[in-house]
Amino acid sequence: MSHMTNPLATPDQLFQRRSYGALPIELQDAIFFATQCLTQAAGILLELPQSVTAQANVLLARYWLVEPPMSHEFSDVSAATLYLVAKLSPTPRSPRDLSNTYFYLLSPHTSFFRPPNSPPPPPPPPTAPPASASPSHLPTESTYLRFHTRLLHLEAHILHALSFNTHAALPHPLAITYLQALDFLHVRKETVARTTIQYLNAALLSPQMLYLTHQPNALAVAAVYNAARDVGAKMPECEWWEVFDVEREELGFLVVGMRSLVGWGAQMRRELDEMTGGKGGMVRRRDVEAELGRRGIRVGNGEGDGGGGPEGSGLDAEEEMARRMDEKMAEVEMAS
Amino acid sequence: MASKSKSRWADDEADAALEAQLKKAKEEKKRIKAEKLRKLEAETHAREAAAAVAVAAGTHEGDNSANEPPAKRRRISPARETVQTTAAGVDGSGGALQLLRFDGGTFGRCRSVENYDKLNDIEEGAYGWVSRAKEIATGKVVALKRLKIDPKDRGGLPVTGLREIQMLKDCDHRNVVKMREVVVGDDTSKIENIFLVLEFVEHDLKSILEDMPEPFLASEVKTLLQQLASGVAYLHDNWILHRDLKTSNLLLNNRGQLKIADFGMARYVGDPPPAKLTQLVVTLWYRAPELLLGAARYTAAIDVWSVGCIFGELLTREPLLQGRHEVDELARIFALCGIPTDDTWPAFRRLPNARGLRLPGKTAAASGATIRTRFPLLTAAGVALLSGLLALDPDRRPTAREMLAHEYFRQDPKPKQEAMFPTFPSKAGQERRRRRETPNAPARGQAAVDLGAVDFSGIFSGREKEERGGGFSLRMV
Repeated sequence: MSHMTNPLATPDQLFQRRSYGALPIELQDAIFFATQCLTQAAGILLELPQSVTAQANVLLARYWLVEPPMSHEFSDVSAATLYLVAKLSPTPRSPRDLSNTYFYLLSPHTSFFRPPNSPPPPPPPPTAPPASASPSHLPTESTYLRFHTRLLHLEAHILHALSFNTHAALPHPLAITYLQALDFLHVRKETVARTTIQYLNAALLSPQMLYLTHQPNALAVAAVYNAARDVGAKMPECEWWEVFDVEREELGFLVVGMRSLVGWGAQMRRELDEMTGGKGGMVRRRDVEAELGRRGIRVGNGEGDGGGGPEGSGLDAEEEMARRMDEKMAEVEMAS
Repeated sequence: MASKSKSRWADDEADAALEAQLKKAKEEKKRIKAEKLRKLEAETHAREAAAAVAVAAGTHEGDNSANEPPAKRRRISPARETVQTTAAGVDGSGGALQLLRFDGGTFGRCRSVENYDKLNDIEEGAYGWVSRAKEIATGKVVALKRLKIDPKDRGGLPVTGLREIQMLKDCDHRNVVKMREVVVGDDTSKIENIFLVLEFVEHDLKSILEDMPEPFLASEVKTLLQQLASGVAYLHDNWILHRDLKTSNLLLNNRGQLKIADFGMARYVGDPPPAKLTQLVVTLWYRAPELLLGAARYTAAIDVWSVGCIFGELLTREPLLQGRHEVDELARIFALCGIPTDDTWPAFRRLPNARGLRLPGKTAAASGATIRTRFPLLTAAGVALLSGLLALDPDRRPTAREMLAHEYFRQDPKPKQEAMFPTFPSKAGQERRRRRETPNAPARGQAAVDLGAVDFSGIFSGREKEERGGGFSLRMV
């Protein structure tokens, strides 16, 4: 049965999220959205199957309900979950590959989270860099070593926070099975199946954390329902979702949750764009801190829940210094 | 999951467990419902939006919440009957629809090892240290298995250890050792000490077999084998290959219960089996011939072979096939089970290491199986079962489930009731166990042994001479 069930978040955990280090909930949502997108992008560049990347998304969402997001750099958490899940899957990826990929995704070269009108990105060869690749596409050896150390540290940290439970059941196979049971609603198999999977993948990014509050069967039914409506397929007259053990209430909630993602995603991107100062790209901790400064909220380095630990500040004094200076610059720019 | 062919007593126990489980599930259901209500309240805003859209769209035409007050206006569906006939888990008594609720538990940080008080060391194996400990809060005695971590390993935490944890977490069977939780050392800034909290089981089968003056009775062998088969069947039903079944990994408590332990080699597989599995699995003496011959695609039948080896060991108190190295192991297998032919193992010639294999001709004296002669005291059904388990062709071995239905378990003497099982002085209880001479399971990352053509022709030409000399000498070294 464990292949079809997931551990779910407790109401306490969901509630507690609102109290993390005074970080406003909309900022947390934006960080969540950006980081999950980053994981997906990295998964594609690393040629990982979506089943692996999606599991990494789920683990990351769980981790951030146990540990406040500000205690580690977001991209590092994304890399560590992806590394961990890939390691346990039939398709492991080396720390070197991850380092290259994330370095690229965080560099100014990528199209990741850039406005569509920006100059086209250079061809990305992140995993198998030819000798001629410009050096700025690849991390230096010391950057790689620091990334690797952070990766291993975070891996253990995440496992500790999740009690070493890396199990994440995905609704995707169930959704296909349900579609088969429904005879693909007598429309083209490919269309309705693709739309269903798209809904499920998009739901991974939802700030409502649908994968942590609902079991895979409910997610699958909701995605099938949405897809059927989108392609205009005729659903059975009866309450067919009950066959798959989903209540109408639950289905309604999920259906709306999944449908609302489109508008919400666009809004998030605008917000993220603002936060990164119009430069685009992945949001970083210093961006969030600067944003908080603009709003007049002071927040320590994850000290809100004592989960930050010394590694965030002590590990890399140089980077910390650079971060401070960036913040200062941002403040100066604000003032002028 | 307990077998059907169990004694009445065992069945009763299983029933009681099932009942308790059902009750628990019911309570859990209640809890989840209450939780959901709270959660939904916290998200009133989103819910209102949901209601608005649902009503606007007008696509919902049913009412399934007979057991809770309607939160908003709804139409009553006329399609009730059709739903009842098709829905899974319809509650026949009241007509109210009862949906299955899945409980996956919750997640959260793991506890500290300081919650346990260490009593004594038990064993140091290839994959970690095991010690006996007492939970301070409850006084319950457990076994703490420390995961071996190499801090210099730049790959991070060992994947075998993580797999073992995940599989033990997923398993719940009376013949599989239970993991209660995972705890870590107090210094959580650096996770170096990881302990698996396992149920404490007094003995391992290996040391019992070594120390017992008389072999197990036939009825006792049946009980043990039946429990082993039932545990292995459970694992295989859940897509787990153990890949290191041997007597030192089988634990026995003082109530006669056998538990499969040590999942350091185990992994999840699918159907069809993954194409490239490592051949470096299973301790040599329990390794199936297809693994020795280099098959990269293998099935649950490799565990069944190990079960066969354990069966033989239970009967004689000696490991059945104590090869000194891969080639020797293979020679011993052929001596016991016969030389593979196109009849007994059609796919055999296609295996990577079989090409260079020069086998004695069909006329050779020892081309047939000698299982019958090696176990003169075993009943015909017993011999049939053992020969089946040790069939050279993996496709001809019975599955663990099929094995449970074998006539051997129904014949007299019947399997002994677990409660009537003899007890043994505990070694794990007090003194440190000595290290076993059993070879360890192959380590990860070793190169697979390539049995060269040279090796084989040499061994087998020697073997032919040996045959002419007067049959196989199978005295143990």
